[in-house]
Amino acid sequence: MSVHILGIRHHGPGSAKNVKAYLEKLRPDIILVEGPPEADSILPWVGDAGLQPPVAILCYQPTDPQDSSFYPFAEFSPEWQAILFANEHKIPVRFIDLPVSNKMAEKGKDQSETGNQSGEKTHQETAEPHNKDDNKATVTDNLIDKDGSETISHELSNGDENNTPANNLVETIKEELATDPPPVEEVRRDPISWLAEAAGYTDAEKWWDQMFEHRQGDEEVFIAINEAMAALRETLPQTPDRIEDLREAHMRKMIRDAQKEMYTEIAVICGAWHAPALTNMPKAKEDNDLLKGLAKVKVDCTWVPWTYDRLSFFSGYGAGILSPGWYHHLWNQPADDGTLWMSSVARLFRSKGMDTSVAHVIEAVRLAETLSALRGMPKSGLDELNEATLSVLCNGEPMMMSLVNHELIVSDRIGAVPESIPKPPLQLDIEKTQKRLRLPVTADWKDLLLDLRKETDLEKSIFLHRLRLLGINWGQQTHVSGKGTFKEQWRLQWSPDYSIRIIELGTYGNTTVEAATRFVTEKASASTLLSEVSELLALTIPSELPDAVTTMIERINNLAAASGDVIQLMEVIPGLVSITRYGNVRKTDAELVSDIAESMITRICISLPPSCTGIDDDSASRIVELIQQLNNSVDLLQIDSLRVSWLDTLGVITNSRGSSPVISGYTTRLLADQKIISADEQVRLFHYSMSAASGPSITAAWLEGFLKGTGTLLVVDDALRAVVDDWVKGLLAKEFEEVLPLLRRTFANFTQPERRKIGEKIRSGNRPAAVQQQTEIDEQRAMLGVPVIFELFGLKTS
Amino acid sequence: MSSFLRQHAEQVFAQELEELGKQDSGKRPANWKLSPQSVVTYLVGGKLGNGFEITPKYIGNRRLMEIAVATLTTDRALLLYGLPGTAKSWVSEHLAAAISGDSTLIVQGTAGTSEESIRYGWNYARLLADGPSEKALVETPVARGMKAGQIVRIEELTRIGADVQDALITILSEKSLPIPELNMQIQAIRGFNIIATANNRDKGVNELSSALKRRFNTVILPVPESIEEEIEIVRQRVESFGKAMELPAEAPPLKEIRRIVTIFRELRSGVTMDGKTKVKSPTGTLSTAEAISVMNNGLSMAAYFGDGAMKANDLAAGIIGAIIKDPVQDKLVWQEYLETVVKPRDEWKDVYRACRDLGI
Repeated sequence: MSVHILGIRHHGPGSAKNVKAYLEKLRPDIILVEGPPEADSILPWVGDAGLQPPVAILCYQPTDPQDSSFYPFAEFSPEWQAILFANEHKIPVRFIDLPVSNKMAEKGKDQSETGNQSGEKTHQETAEPHNKDDNKATVTDNLIDKDGSETISHELSNGDENNTPANNLVETIKEELATDPPPVEEVRRDPISWLAEAAGYTDAEKWWDQMFEHRQGDEEVFIAINEAMAALRETLPQTPDRIEDLREAHMRKMIRDAQKEMYTEIAVICGAWHAPALTNMPKAKEDNDLLKGLAKVKVDCTWVPWTYDRLSFFSGYGAGILSPGWYHHLWNQPADDGTLWMSSVARLFRSKGMDTSVAHVIEAVRLAETLSALRGMPKSGLDELNEATLSVLCNGEPMMMSLVNHELIVSDRIGAVPESIPKPPLQLDIEKTQKRLRLPVTADWKDLLLDLRKETDLEKSIFLHRLRLLGINWGQQTHVSGKGTFKEQWRLQWSPDYSIRIIELGTYGNTTVEAATRFVTEKASASTLLSEVSELLALTIPSELPDAVTTMIERINNLAAASGDVIQLMEVIPGLVSITRYGNVRKTDAELVSDIAESMITRICISLPPSCTGIDDDSASRIVELIQQLNNSVDLLQIDSLRVSWLDTLGVITNSRGSSPVISGYTTRLLADQKIISADEQVRLFHYSMSAASGPSITAAWLEGFLKGTGTLLVVDDALRAVVDDWVKGLLAKEFEEVLPLLRRTFANFTQPERRKIGEKIRSGNRPAAVQQQTEIDEQRAMLGVPVIFELFGLKTS
Repeated sequence: MSSFLRQHAEQVFAQELEELGKQDSGKRPANWKLSPQSVVTYLVGGKLGNGFEITPKYIGNRRLMEIAVATLTTDRALLLYGLPGTAKSWVSEHLAAAISGDSTLIVQGTAGTSEESIRYGWNYARLLADGPSEKALVETPVARGMKAGQIVRIEELTRIGADVQDALITILSEKSLPIPELNMQIQAIRGFNIIATANNRDKGVNELSSALKRRFNTVILPVPESIEEEIEIVRQRVESFGKAMELPAEAPPLKEIRRIVTIFRELRSGVTMDGKTKVKSPTGTLSTAEAISVMNNGLSMAAYFGDGAMKANDLAAGIIGAIIKDPVQDKLVWQEYLETVVKPRDEWKDVYRACRDLGI
């Protein structure tokens, strides 16, 4: 009866190979793997044709899904290979790490006691999907992942050319550490780096890759690991870490349980750092005491698809690796001398239109081999292959290398999970819809152009809008080129984080429609800000959730009624009105919205004039902006009764003596634009407002409002220009000095050509310019445009 | 001290090459004087087993040198590519010196380089007297390198006309030089290879044909990554210049080198070292090599016209000469830089005054 401790490195293809070889030789009758015991029940899926790595075990609290952990596995993860081996050979396999239920509960306790614990050391990712800024999960484990250290020692016993017995290296390390005792803070660094440094490398990762990944291993590797780690654990001063102690105690307990069940050959797969702790078993009682009375929460587990991108170090994953795609290649093609890799690089380049011949590939492989020989390595590593690619295939230009890095070294591989795995109903619904609408989930982004006049495209758009409403930003709407409201451009990119978000949303409903409806309804009911609700409404309309829309309209209505702030009302209107425009294309009932917009505009018409009196400059110019927007909205709505009352309101503001001069200047302009007041009346109003009695600052403010936005009026309207010109001429020198800054401010807003034109006109003595107009219409040419217009409006030409 | 103005690399570093050869235990490719590992050590410097110190010839990324040396052990030729003044010719000279012990097999590429200077020419007197024979043949460095199994250098490959460039294709792929007139050929001995240099800044150069391009492995030599690296390069080269020229001046203080390198780097990258101020870049490349020559110039000025210690006004003329290549545009760039960047720096007052005094 014996226990075999196999210390590994997470996601190390070399480790995976050694584990597999070791297990095949040993034929254990039970395999224990470092991992959450809660997930034991879903382990039988490993080996199922539908479950394709990279996948992750997602552990979450059903009551509080935000608190969740991922345990990612790639095909080349030693743990995955061990589980696969067990399932293929029909022997029991168990996870032996501290249960997530305890870990979450204990961590919660720890955090409240001692603040944030940064020493989490598994290869798990703890995700907090509520991080709104980006959809990446926050990763609490850090770089000093002690499990990363296991890597090192594999190399030790491998004695092909530099025949270093494990002991020697261990000795070296000990010496090194003895001569140069590390300061306590530095201990937190990756222990592997101590070993790498002892071997004369600066980069621990590189050292590991070169010394181990490209080597053929043997079984003694694991003994060597154990010794090296024991030496490290002895020599490096350690900060006590309760969770860490608990984990190791629990692992020992599980090993003892297996022994009690009379298993004879027990294989334990764990991070190398833990290996010595599992070899030298303390008394069972000590561990049991330690594990007594742990807090607990309820935890559910499931498989979720994962991506290589998320497995990579760059995504912030603590136990991440630099080159998942390369490891994938190493695992699947262990005998490759670089030829296959170079061929795939060449294929990639060819697909991007770069000529790459077979001769190129041959030369690149040769250069890589020579380089590795020069560096004293038995086989080309990724560095050599990359340098050869750069030198031979790219002619030294590094630009194309980023392509290789993205597509091959990291790779955009995404895993798959069989449909039959028990999943939350909302997840199932989303997957079904994705399948029905032919929107496959990809790790790399994909652009999608939707024509909303087509049935399926409209459905896709609705689906994407709903997901976005739910906070699943799978699709990002991008600016669409060309005109028309019937086109939508989306960029789709799936992230594994959405899995947690979906579980979290499970409480809202079992289908996308249900969940989205309840989600926005609740959000709208909770909000007291009119602008917030109307923004939400703008998002909800394209998601086609009639129930939610109805509630939101009611909510807006109530808020509008209760709101005394006319500015808030005015801010909301443009958004609402643009919704009614969308309504036609999307075939949604926009009536509801236009009704509410109408009633709100009526409210505004009543309370706007008093709001324009007795206000400071800043709020006055804000109101001018809003009046402009509202005026556009009223034009858009094209409801006569509304227009009449709006123009009436403008008239009231214009004629009210108390109105802020900027505002009344602007309303005068608007009324003149709409031909509500005649040209003569306009001249009269202008002279009236500009009269010297008002004082220069007031008249200038009025002029600013009057001329707001466009100087074209001054260029075209001779009478008006004459009025302004006369007024300026009539100013006394002192008055002119006073108004000059204000005039400048007004004229500075005009475009350069406008200002030049005005200047030219005034210099030329207000002679009206001859305007050329072409009135003749070439009907034949015009006919050519007709089909295009039909197309634009979605009409069929017969 | 020899009376030559400039000695070849294999002469200056003869002792280093000898020591390397003695200590070298690695496998040497045919006709190589050193093993590839030792060639790399010769280039990037290091300490030998017996404690002998090898000075670094190339300061920068070791991996680039490894690629270059590895390339030369294969049957591909090496193309060193980069901005002017990034040590391309320097590296090629030292590579040839270390590998073949001879850096003199060199063809300088110009627009006028003809096929005769790459393949072979004829001694016409003899040709007329005796008819075509091997004796009437005039060998080029390329042909000599092929016969002796040595490294041949081609400088400024892209300046050679495209038709002449392509004469290299047979030499590089078949490793032989056919002489149809005599119905014979020169077959290259092991150890023969070509190192070409080319710069990617100049306009009007002849792009390599793809057929030729794929017979070269390209190594791009970058401008020095960090200011420390660049300062080190300048310091080393300037000191060796002082020695070779037997200048009575003191070695330039590190402070001066740092200032020159800073000015060059700032103008080259278009931003000041602290990343806060944008500056315009002049038309010249402002390479490290130019910084070196400014320092050398200043050293001579100090030695012959000054008190032997280098000061800002010994350098001013050199700086301005290196920066202002276009009398109109660059002058504005320089004046702006002088007024906005140099002037406010307190410890740079002397540089500012010296440059102002020159009135440019």
